[in-house]
Amino acid sequence: MRRLIFAFTTGVLLATAPAAFAQTVGFAEAIKILSVSCGKDIDKFCKSATLANNGIGKCLAENQAKVSEKCNADRAVVASLIQERLAAQAAAPKICDRDAAQYCKGVKAGAGHILRCLLKAQPSVSAKCNTAIDLAGYR
Amino acid sequence: MNKTLLAGISAAILAVSVSGASAQTKLSRNEIINSLQGAQQEVDVSADELQKAAFENIQKYPGANSPGNLPLWDKLASLRQFNVEITFDLNSARIKPESYETVGLIADALHTPYLQGQTFYIVGHTDATGTREYNLELSIKRAKSVREALVTTFQVPAEYLQAVGLGEEQLRDPSKPDSGINRRVQLINVGYR
Repeated sequence: MRRLIFAFTTGVLLATAPAAFAQTVGFAEAIKILSVSCGKDIDKFCKSATLANNGIGKCLAENQAKVSEKCNADRAVVASLIQERLAAQAAAPKICDRDAAQYCKGVKAGAGHILRCLLKAQPSVSAKCNTAIDLAGYR
Repeated sequence: MNKTLLAGISAAILAVSVSGASAQTKLSRNEIINSLQGAQQEVDVSADELQKAAFENIQKYPGANSPGNLPLWDKLASLRQFNVEITFDLNSARIKPESYETVGLIADALHTPYLQGQTFYIVGHTDATGTREYNLELSIKRAKSVREALVTTFQVPAEYLQAVGLGEEQLRDPSKPDSGINRRVQLINVGYR
């Protein structure tokens, strides 16, 4: 069973990495690792903890001696994956500022209009900005 | 060699998504974005008013079942919205680990520029088993629990999310009041405010 899960994770990595050149993953993908690796431990040791205010993360940390090895390894990974994606999303607008001014002149800000414009202008947009869009998960 | 490898990978993905999708068809971030984006109308129903209307509905029309549409509902029905199934522990607002991914997908959608800056109501609904009062309170707790998970774990800005519970006052399928189809979390885009 453990081998199967490992094989699956590898499969996903192989399948998604080349398509998006992504070094960050989405929130759903990140938190799914927690439910796969820690689901049983959460149901066993954290019956009253919730996802809010990092309740689950705190509970797993408090119970780390009892929690499975896999879960202990992955819970830290999940937390940093979420932080990386948040940081990438916060950085993207600044990194793409100049491209937006150059290729999306007159495009109204808000509701994703500028992103849509930058995606359309991908061949002209700077490599830096295109990478920032990838890392933010905005493509 | 390559082909076998690929086949193996897709088989693994299929196996996992089929088992994961037994309760619902596989949801994607873009599906949520497409359903929620494009808010245009002005909405003059506040989350507080909506919440109050649910309590008043029980007082005004007591009995085992709600008479039907909440008076304010028509104003929201035409807005951009999306229903998701999130599973909770029995009689509790604790989100089950199996639904973490769904909450993550909502966060993925809300964090895109397509939806940023707009306000969303997170509306919890139950089926009609149990008393209306109990269901109303439970749905409020569950809607708040989803909101808190989004705001804390996934850092969606708190000012754009408001939780409302409607219990069994606004069933999705009034002809089957006890059906699971009525248990849902509804996201409604109420626009820029």
